[in-house]
Amino acid sequence: MPTSNALRELRRANPRSDPDFDRSLEATDDLANRIVRSSPVLPGDATRPRSPGRALGMRGRAPVRVGSAVLVAAAIVAAFVIVGRPGAGGIKSASAAVVQAAEATADSASSSGTATVAMTHDGEAWTHKTVQWDGTDLDVVDSSQGRQGNRELLVVDGVMYGQDPNGRWLTLGSPDSIDPGTGTTPDDYLAITHADVSGATLSQIVAGMTDLTTEQRDDGSTVYRGSVPAGLVATKDGFKEGESIRVFPFGYVAHDQAADPAALLDASITVGSDGLISELAVRWGEGGSAWTYTVTYTNLGSTGPIKAPDNAQPFPRRSP
Amino acid sequence: MNETDAERQRRFNELFRARRGDVVAFCGWRADTASDAQDALAEVFLIAWRRLDEVPDGDAARVWLYATARRVIANQRRSRRRRSALRDRLAIQPDGGSAEVFAPGSPEAIVHAALRRLRPADREVLLLAEWENLTPAQIGEVVGCLAVTARGRLHRARFRFRVEFEELQSRGRAARGAHGTHGAQTEGEDDHAHVERTSRAQARQPAF
Repeated sequence: MPTSNALRELRRANPRSDPDFDRSLEATDDLANRIVRSSPVLPGDATRPRSPGRALGMRGRAPVRVGSAVLVAAAIVAAFVIVGRPGAGGIKSASAAVVQAAEATADSASSSGTATVAMTHDGEAWTHKTVQWDGTDLDVVDSSQGRQGNRELLVVDGVMYGQDPNGRWLTLGSPDSIDPGTGTTPDDYLAITHADVSGATLSQIVAGMTDLTTEQRDDGSTVYRGSVPAGLVATKDGFKEGESIRVFPFGYVAHDQAADPAALLDASITVGSDGLISELAVRWGEGGSAWTYTVTYTNLGSTGPIKAPDNAQPFPRRSP
Repeated sequence: MNETDAERQRRFNELFRARRGDVVAFCGWRADTASDAQDALAEVFLIAWRRLDEVPDGDAARVWLYATARRVIANQRRSRRRRSALRDRLAIQPDGGSAEVFAPGSPEAIVHAALRRLRPADREVLLLAEWENLTPAQIGEVVGCLAVTARGRLHRARFRFRVEFEELQSRGRAARGAHGTHGAQTEGEDDHAHVERTSRAQARQPAF
C-alpha cells in the first residue's frame, strides 16, 4: 500500500528534523556526568524491583531507598554518649534513648496528632504547613507566606472537601479521586506522619547521627544534637528544571547544601518530659544561605476530632 | 573509583551517548512542557544509571528507556494534578506555554492540528511508530499491551490521522479559495483557520 501524503507529512514533522533538535542534544552534554556525580549508586539500590513500572513508583521509591549503605556506615561510627534520662532508672546510650522515645511516640501518635512543618531561609519564614490527623481524618493547611490558611486537603469520614477562590466550601467526593502515587493522597500523608512519628524516619536519622551530644533542659525535655547525612532526612530525590534535587518529608525541596545526600547537616531531636519526641530540626548553610527544616509534633494521641465544614456545596460538574 | 565502578560508568556513558537523542525526542513530544521534558530526560537517565544492570542491550534499551520515560512523564502529570488539584477541579485550564510558530496552512501546522484531534492513546501509538520507528511489538512493550493490540491501535490511529489530515487540508484549500488569504476569523471561523490559530498559540513543547 503506498504511503499516504498524510503519513509522509507526519514523518517529515518528526522533531528530529527540527534545526533546534541538535541544540537540544548539545544542552544535555554534561548530564551523564552530573548524574554520576550527584547520585552514587548504593548497595541498597540493587535490591529494587526489576520492573521499571513498579520501580518507578515515586511513592515507593524514596522512602525505601534511604541510602542504606550510608545508614549502615554512619551507624557504625555513631557516637554513643552515656546519658541518664529522667525516669529511665539507668544508663543508656543517647541513640537508644531516642529510639525508645520514638517508640513511645509511635504509640501515642497512632490515633491522632498534629505535625507542624516549617522551613526558614536566611532567618525568614520560607514555608509553613500544619498536618492534623485523627484516625483516617486529615486536615492539611498551608500557612506559608502568601498562602495563609490555604487548605491543601481536608478529609472527614471519607469525604474530601476544598474551597473555591471565594472561600466557599465544596464537597469534592472521595479521596480515591486523587491519583495514587503522587505522594499526597490522604493515605500518603498519614503514611508520612506515621513513618515520622513511629520511628521509621526518626530511627534512621538517629542511627545516622554522629557526634551526638545531649542537653538537659529545665522543663524536663532533652535535646539530642548531632550531624546527619542529608540523604537520611531528605530521602526523596529527583530533578527539577534540570537540576538534581532532594525532597524533605511533606514535599519541601532541600536547597543548597542539603541537596547533596552526603552533606552533613546539623540535626536535633527534642524529647519532651513526657518521653515523646516533640521536635525534629535540621539546619545547614550559613549567612544568606542558612536554612532550617523543623517538624514539631504536638497533641499526639490527643488531637481533637477534625470537623467537616458547614454548608459545603456539591462540586459543580464541569460541562463537557 | 574501583574498576567495577569505572566499567559501570563507561557502560552508562555509552548508553547515554547512544540513546539520549531518542529520549530527548520522545520526552519532547510526550511531556507537557519543555521544562517537564528536560526533567524527564534527567530522571530517565538517573533511573537508568541506578538500574544499569536491568537495561537490556541493543535496540531493546531504547524500548526500556521509552517505557521508563513514559512512566516518569505520567508521574509528572499526576504530580501537577496533585499540586493544583483544586484549581484543576475548578476548570482552570493549563497555560499553553510559549508559541512554536508554524506557517499558516503549512503541512506541519496541519500535521500538528490533526494530531491534536486524535485521542491521546491513538496519538501515542502513531508517534511511537512514525517518529520513533518502533514495531507494534515494541510499542506494546512501551505502553503495556500485547503486540496484536498495539498493531490494531496503530492501524486505527493511522486511519484516523489520515482522515483528520485530509479533512483539514481540504478545508484549508477551500478557505483559501473563498478568502484568497488566511484572514483572521474569530466567530464562525472554519476548522482550518482555527487549528492554524491553535497551532500558533501552542508550543511544540508542550506538543500534545
